Amino acid sequence: MEVIDSRIVLAPAISLACALLIFISGRRAAWRSTLALGAAALKFAVILSLLPGSLQGTVYAYRLFDFPPGIGIAFRADALGMFFALVSSTLWVLTTVYAIGYMKDRPQKLRFFGFFSLCISTTVGIAFAENLLTLLLCYEALTVCTYPLLVHDETPEALRAGRKYLVYTLAGGALILFGVVMVQHLAGTLSLSQPGILPADAPPPMLLAVFWALVAGFGVKAAIMPLHGWLPSAMVAPTPVSALLHAVAVVKAGVFGLLRVVYNVFGVELLAVLGYAAWLAALAAFTIVAGSLMAMAQDNLKRRLAYSTVSQLSYIVLAAALLTPLAALAAIAHIANQAFAKITMFFVAGAVEQATGRRQVHELAGMGRVMPWTMGAFTVASLSFIGVPLFAGFVTKWYLSLGALQAEAWWFVLLMILSALLNAAYWLPIVYLAWFRAPRGLPARVGETGWLLLAPTLAAAAYVVLLGVTTRVPGMPFSLAEAAVNFVSGTRGGG
Amino acid sequence: MSAWLPLAAFVPLVAGALTSALARRRPRLAQGWALAAAAWTLLAATVLTRRLFLEGPFSYAMGGWAAPWGIELRFDAWSAASLFIALIMLAVLVYSGPYARDEIESRRLPWYYSLLLLNLGGMVGFACAGDLFNLFVFMELVSVSSYALVAVGGGRIAALAAFKYLLAGAVSSALVLFCIGVLHALTGSLNMADVALRLAEIDSRGPVVLALAGLSAGFMLKAALFPLHLWLPDAHAAAPCPVSAVLSALVVKIGIIGLLRTHAVFAGVEGLPMAAFGQVLAWLGALAIVAGALFALFQDDIKLMLAYSTVSNIGYIVLGLGLANHAAMTGAGIHVLNHAIIKATLFLAAGAIIHQTGSRTLRELRGVGRMMPWSALAVSIGALSIAGLPPTAGFLGKWYIALGAFAAGQPGFAAVLLLGALLIFAYYIRILNAFYFRAPIDDNMRSVREAPLPMLLPILFLAALCILGGLFGRWPVALVAPAVERLAGGG
Repeated sequence: MEVIDSRIVLAPAISLACALLIFISGRRAAWRSTLALGAAALKFAVILSLLPGSLQGTVYAYRLFDFPPGIGIAFRADALGMFFALVSSTLWVLTTVYAIGYMKDRPQKLRFFGFFSLCISTTVGIAFAENLLTLLLCYEALTVCTYPLLVHDETPEALRAGRKYLVYTLAGGALILFGVVMVQHLAGTLSLSQPGILPADAPPPMLLAVFWALVAGFGVKAAIMPLHGWLPSAMVAPTPVSALLHAVAVVKAGVFGLLRVVYNVFGVELLAVLGYAAWLAALAAFTIVAGSLMAMAQDNLKRRLAYSTVSQLSYIVLAAALLTPLAALAAIAHIANQAFAKITMFFVAGAVEQATGRRQVHELAGMGRVMPWTMGAFTVASLSFIGVPLFAGFVTKWYLSLGALQAEAWWFVLLMILSALLNAAYWLPIVYLAWFRAPRGLPARVGETGWLLLAPTLAAAAYVVLLGVTTRVPGMPFSLAEAAVNFVSGTRGGG
Repeated sequence: MSAWLPLAAFVPLVAGALTSALARRRPRLAQGWALAAAAWTLLAATVLTRRLFLEGPFSYAMGGWAAPWGIELRFDAWSAASLFIALIMLAVLVYSGPYARDEIESRRLPWYYSLLLLNLGGMVGFACAGDLFNLFVFMELVSVSSYALVAVGGGRIAALAAFKYLLAGAVSSALVLFCIGVLHALTGSLNMADVALRLAEIDSRGPVVLALAGLSAGFMLKAALFPLHLWLPDAHAAAPCPVSAVLSALVVKIGIIGLLRTHAVFAGVEGLPMAAFGQVLAWLGALAIVAGALFALFQDDIKLMLAYSTVSNIGYIVLGLGLANHAAMTGAGIHVLNHAIIKATLFLAAGAIIHQTGSRTLRELRGVGRMMPWSALAVSIGALSIAGLPPTAGFLGKWYIALGAFAAGQPGFAAVLLLGALLIFAYYIRILNAFYFRAPIDDNMRSVREAPLPMLLPILFLAALCILGGLFGRWPVALVAPAVERLAGGG
């Protein structure tokens, strides 16, 4: 059932309005924080209010503009879009609280919070995009809006990282545009409301070109190797921005775009016939392993996190490329699982840096004794990445393995085990260092950070556990992911 | 009712001729006079465009003498460009108030406004001319006033640039005039519709091909299509900023409209190598896109950068024309209009920044974004728009041209188009970086103030159009589509 509802336009519009208000009147810190937090909460409430309907199978839609004729800016919230929007807006509330605490003594806060709000506006736009053009529009806008955040410190290093980011993402955007034009040419429509719009009788070279243009385009932000180069250098940004890049908006926008390409542009059936997905799966498998190996070699905590992100994102890509219902479930669920675990780690990295100024892994010795809550959260996230049962990451690995077996590709199960071992190899040493070594060279009065940093960290860690133990997490329902899977595969998914 | 047509073109011409006489004692009057004339033209163009929407193309026979013997003015979809011409000229005239007062000697002020009006009248006339001879006359009016406008600010560099522009322009005019002569000798007629009919009956192909090639080359030179662009960067960069806006946004489009008119004349003639001609245009366009963007990338002078960006954008339009199918020509037509708005925004906003700070290189302009937030915002919007970011105005044209490239079975051109868009973005990123994210190199920047309101209002108005032109893109599409149908159907 499809209903017209302006609330799905309201959701991105709230953040947009908030950004404008901040730019115009955000000179005073208290007012600015109120605005940012109020908008985040309001947006969360609006999206949450759509959830009951969405769970019953209602799809909300709203057309905004018709430009160029026939292809409008239109929004439509199906189960997959709702899931992504929910994840982003939940994390948004946490990140805003954290950012208020983290940015307290830094310059240019007005610009920071303005563009911060713009980013989430475009992210929700991506989640709710009805057609590829709207998706591309929001995707490009997201690129533009993250740039000022990335170069926030205005150091030569930041500017260099920013330039790299733009080169990668804008080139990706151009490729997507290329693909979108081809889709319009072949299919005569750009709508994302069908399970596949490309005609099966289109010339195969064209289909192949569309596939690679779109996959490589979205693959930049999804950090599929070898397109991942921008992500580790982008670590110069302030920590809330890294959290935003890695967990909420940017990389997830790329992954979400890929899911749309697989499920709504090509459709599972057509891709299964064409067989292109096997290449994508191979690429993702390579990225999972190589990303982990690279992560192991990093001593800078944020860089290690970055390579871990590269590796983790490819779980989603791999799951999507397997084209089976259970794997699809893993793909969608991992959007949330990776996001919460990764944002926890970033919050921790930022808090440690704020409290002690330390950024390197080997400097973390004994940190658990000075900042027990913070490092506790870190431990939870690590266990989740390794895939220990009762943590969120296990759910992904479980369904992904089942999905791989459904696809009769047992070697991906081995890959899951290998990846778990690799994850253990680079997270457990940190956990060991933090808890079982004595702190060295720390001033006596160093302790936990303020509540503004600690509370979001603990909340995110709590979500990691919740997502692992129950399918009925408030506001993050597993059944939504199931509904999305039912739509894309047309069959009953397991679970 | 149809008297609006001649009035639209001739009122600014007459007003322009009278300006210096009227304002001899009080130069301040000149601007008000010019504004009134331009506002009149805008009104007339609006009325005419409305009629075009309601009834389709219509003609006016001068002095009651019917075509093909009398002089015919014809208002079709391409003539509707005069609406944009008048609109941008009005914005430029408003903007000129504070700008020209500071930058141009007061005894030259009446000439300045007079030349702008002549330019306006010439362009509107050119867009509406129904016969080849008047096409040429109006073109010369535009050209001569443009040469003078480049030099109006004074200074040796400007004079040299104007002279270079004059030489290129003279070659182009001579070519066009010669070919009009050839056509007249062949057909005995000058009315374009009539010439098109009579050409079909002519057996000898040699002179016809010569006329086609000559007219095309002449108009390409006027449009500064790469590699015939050499005159453009100097002229556009040396001119006063409002003049640069007019030259870059509007005057080069004269060449494009000329190409379209030429195409329409020859489209019905059998046995002409129109397909090959289209391919040549497409390749030249593709070359211009990349070359223009690359040149722009290596400039440090912000005005030179914008000038090369015009070279690149003319490439888009010509590529669209060359692909010669419905989607591509729609894209080209829309980009003619949208590029005018975007480039005017950019030049006026950059002009405001140059005017307030006194510097024009990116290095010296570091950090200006904080001192002049509105002007810098307009530059940003213009930059995003010209890079073709949806949903801004610049996106529409590129979208249709890319679709056209696929429809023509030449996806390579779509790839070039996107590459060009990327390069364009790369050089605008340099501008934005300098404005917002780099620390000023000296302390003078801290005392810079935002431009006065008469300069700011037209800039922000045009910047808003850059966005609205994309969001409400179906209007320009509706305007251009029927004209394209005739052209693409005939060719």
